[in-house]
Amino acid sequence: MLRSSFQARIAGVLILLLLVVIGALYVAVKAATNVAVRAQAQEQLNVGSRVFGQLLAQRSDQLQQAAQVLAADFGFKDAVASGDVPTIRSALVNQGARINASAVFLLGLDGSLQVSTGLDIDAEALARLGRQLQQPRRDGPRLFLLPIGEQIYLLVDATVSAPLPIARLLMGFAVDRAFALQIRELTHLELSVVARRDGTAPTWVSTLPNSAQRLLETHVEAVGAMPQHVDDDIEHYLSQHLQLASGPGYRIEALLHRSLGEAEAAFAPLDRRILLISLGAMLASLVGALVLARSVSRPVRELADAAQRIGRGDYQQPVTLVRSDELGVLALAVNDMQRGIAERERQLAHNALHDALTGLPNRTLALERLGSAITAGRPIALLYLGVGNFAAINESCGQSGGDFVLQQLSRRLQATLRPGDSLARLLGDEFLVLLEHCDGSSAVASADRLQQLLLKPLRIGTQDVALDCRMGIAAYPADGDTPDDLLRRARIAMQDAAQHSGRLQIYQQGRDAAQQRQIRLIRDLRHAAEQGQLLLHYQPKLDIRDGRVRQAEALLRWQHPHLGMVSPGEFIPLAERTGSIQLLTTWVIEEVMRQLHEWDGRGVWVQVSLNISTEDLLDTALPARVDALLARYQVAPEQLIFEITESGVMLNPERALEVLHGLRRCGIGLSVDDFGTGYSSLAQLKRMPVQELKIDQSFVRELDDNSEDSVIVRSTIEMSHSLGLKVVAEGVELAPSLSLLQRWHCDTAQGYLISRPLAAEAFEVWLAQPYRFPQAEVH
Amino acid sequence: MTVCNSRLFSLALFAALTMVSSAYASAFQAELVDAAGEPLGDAVITLRGLADSPRAPLPVQMDQRNQQFQPHVLAVRTGTSVSFPNSDDIRHQVYSFSPAKRFELRLYQGTPSEPVLFDKPGLVVLGCNIHDWMLGYIYVTDDPWFAVSDDDGRAVIADLPAGRYVVTLWHPGNPDLLPQVAGEIQFDARVSSQRFVLGSPGPAEQPAPPAPSAFGEAFRKAAEDAAK
Repeated sequence: MLRSSFQARIAGVLILLLLVVIGALYVAVKAATNVAVRAQAQEQLNVGSRVFGQLLAQRSDQLQQAAQVLAADFGFKDAVASGDVPTIRSALVNQGARINASAVFLLGLDGSLQVSTGLDIDAEALARLGRQLQQPRRDGPRLFLLPIGEQIYLLVDATVSAPLPIARLLMGFAVDRAFALQIRELTHLELSVVARRDGTAPTWVSTLPNSAQRLLETHVEAVGAMPQHVDDDIEHYLSQHLQLASGPGYRIEALLHRSLGEAEAAFAPLDRRILLISLGAMLASLVGALVLARSVSRPVRELADAAQRIGRGDYQQPVTLVRSDELGVLALAVNDMQRGIAERERQLAHNALHDALTGLPNRTLALERLGSAITAGRPIALLYLGVGNFAAINESCGQSGGDFVLQQLSRRLQATLRPGDSLARLLGDEFLVLLEHCDGSSAVASADRLQQLLLKPLRIGTQDVALDCRMGIAAYPADGDTPDDLLRRARIAMQDAAQHSGRLQIYQQGRDAAQQRQIRLIRDLRHAAEQGQLLLHYQPKLDIRDGRVRQAEALLRWQHPHLGMVSPGEFIPLAERTGSIQLLTTWVIEEVMRQLHEWDGRGVWVQVSLNISTEDLLDTALPARVDALLARYQVAPEQLIFEITESGVMLNPERALEVLHGLRRCGIGLSVDDFGTGYSSLAQLKRMPVQELKIDQSFVRELDDNSEDSVIVRSTIEMSHSLGLKVVAEGVELAPSLSLLQRWHCDTAQGYLISRPLAAEAFEVWLAQPYRFPQAEVH
Repeated sequence: MTVCNSRLFSLALFAALTMVSSAYASAFQAELVDAAGEPLGDAVITLRGLADSPRAPLPVQMDQRNQQFQPHVLAVRTGTSVSFPNSDDIRHQVYSFSPAKRFELRLYQGTPSEPVLFDKPGLVVLGCNIHDWMLGYIYVTDDPWFAVSDDDGRAVIADLPAGRYVVTLWHPGNPDLLPQVAGEIQFDARVSSQRFVLGSPGPAEQPAPPAPSAFGEAFRKAAEDAAK
């Protein structure tokens, strides 16, 4: 396509140019030829005119001489003088025959026709002749051109003198076609002679072809003047006009015609030669254009191929185009470009696969190497290394210090590598060492050796920095068979290692699954409320004094569509960690109110406690929201107790107190949950607007008379009562515990001994049954 | 030399007339001029009286000299014999096709044997067959009194009796070569000279030798005009 269009364009331009040149040349030659033809024709006409004139003069001289010979003949004079008509006529015929004159006649001096040799001279012609004869004679012979009858005659006169003039002898010949042909023979010109008389059709003598002659006649008839050109269908004639004679009422004119066609025919070979040269030049230029285009288009094709190769990423094969012209320069440039692109691409590839800071392979390259080992089925161990105190180092030494540490670390690590092993920086402070042909246990040895090396502090400026390096180990094929799995599991092991003093951990089977479950729970928890997967269970709380149950704690349950019932101990910490705990408490508050409203409708009165999160305690809008819900569900605030944790308050005591006071103003009861596990002081407890304490179940579960727990529980109960707070013991599972609590005047007990948490309907049913106080069994 | 020319003859006649004029007759002198008043030579004046007595005509000569007729115009009375002596050393062939007298004298030298008798009045135009330019006139008249003017236009008739005369004039230039009647005159001794005007005589016709053709030139001119 490229080639053909290029060739076509070059050929087109060349041929166009050539056509223009040839056209101009042809026009110029044609114009010059035409001028030459016309000039030549004109010259021929001029010459022809002179020849024609000369011929007429010659003929008239001959006639004149013949006429004078006769006129001077004494016998003839005698005959004329004596009026001997037969004699005269015979003499006239005789002399006319001698010189081949077609008209011989004798006129009297008065112009009357005396004798004629058969020529019928009409009166008009006679009158014309008479008038001309009356003209004073000039020097030389007189020549009369006259139309007589249907013919034109050339006449000369001679006076018959005896010795005074007694008559006029006229001799002449018809200017007829034979004469015209004779002229044509001499001059190679066509001749037309016309006599025009008033009132009579013109008399024509012409050597022109019939068609041209008719055309000429028509023209003269129409225009009245002689044309310069006569053009019939076949021929073009240039004409020269000669007025031969004129008189009153008549006019004789001659036209000499030169056929331009004949003259042009002389130039026809020139035209043919120009045509031949043109065709030759055209052919040559076409061939030349093709050759030229080929010589250009082939290297262009090669260059295009090279460009395509480069586009495909093949940088090996250079363009082999050795030329001294611009295309050669272009080929060199293309080769340069190819090298440049290859170099930059190598650089880019290096950058893409290497860490800029340390120059180590990056995660991508590490995964690739891991992948190739897996593909090859080579056992390989992953040593995942993290610097636990890197954030601290960054803080104390600055960003550049941190970078320096990483570079030093990478150098040290690299120094320990065996041949075939590789080191990569994954991100931040995390490195990966790939140990070829290594299983988990031999990797531990390597890791241990590494750790010994890394114990030596790094010197940064004036500071000695000790690195807290943790290492996780995973091995192929034991711990996984995809690079991603292996890397993730090595990392899990590294994270787990943080928990061990040895800071080294081999991946344990199942760790990965637990983490996967966590991730899934975190992800699904956000949508649990709106998808109706959440529900509340209610655990009855026993009023120890009167043995009745009027309270319950609402406990959140999550029915996961795939994982089944998820325990709060699993998902609540996840929700707290990921910040979705507020969603849950919000849902719990509303659900509890809705449930209370429902129970109210059925005449069931219960006081329900629920847990609110640390985040809720920082939300100053919470009291207003709760108030709105209370109004909406028409629930008495006394039916609600919000359980808070000490740590939650401690995080931002002022804000938390503000929220707690707000809640108190709504009329909601407040309880401190898990009391005893935190570090809260009684003084702080006193500042909080709480009415209740919940002793953590860890103190309650295995309560007996002599344990330390019993001291704590008993003293807590007493102290609380002294502060005017009620006390709730959770985790009551054994009857003796309950007895002890009863003895120590604990207000409320909660635990499996009383009932496990129940769904709302079950709780309602349970509540309707008469409760059998377990205390009876104790006693 | 036995041959007189006409002028000598006239002078002789004039002298004779002058001598006798005092007695009963005298010479009549006519002064002939053309319309422009120029004297006209070779003009003929003839007078016819009311009572003329016939006089015997005298023989006269028409000479050919220097290839010309001498005199150019000769006036003779009807019945006069004219001899045509040839004074040239070449031969002439004198002829006339005039109705008044047709004759032809074959090529001759010297004086031909027979004089030619002009017995009818009229004009006889003389030519030479071999010399076309030779032209002579013989005016043959019935009138008894006549004379031919000399180069000064004077024509003298000697011994003209007094009386009344009808005057006729002729000149080669006359239209159609016809004589012209000039009215009557009363001649007596007191009137010795009279002026006559010839109507409109043109120049006498003279045949010219053939000139070279000029047509070619005229034609060339026409051709050049056309070329322009």
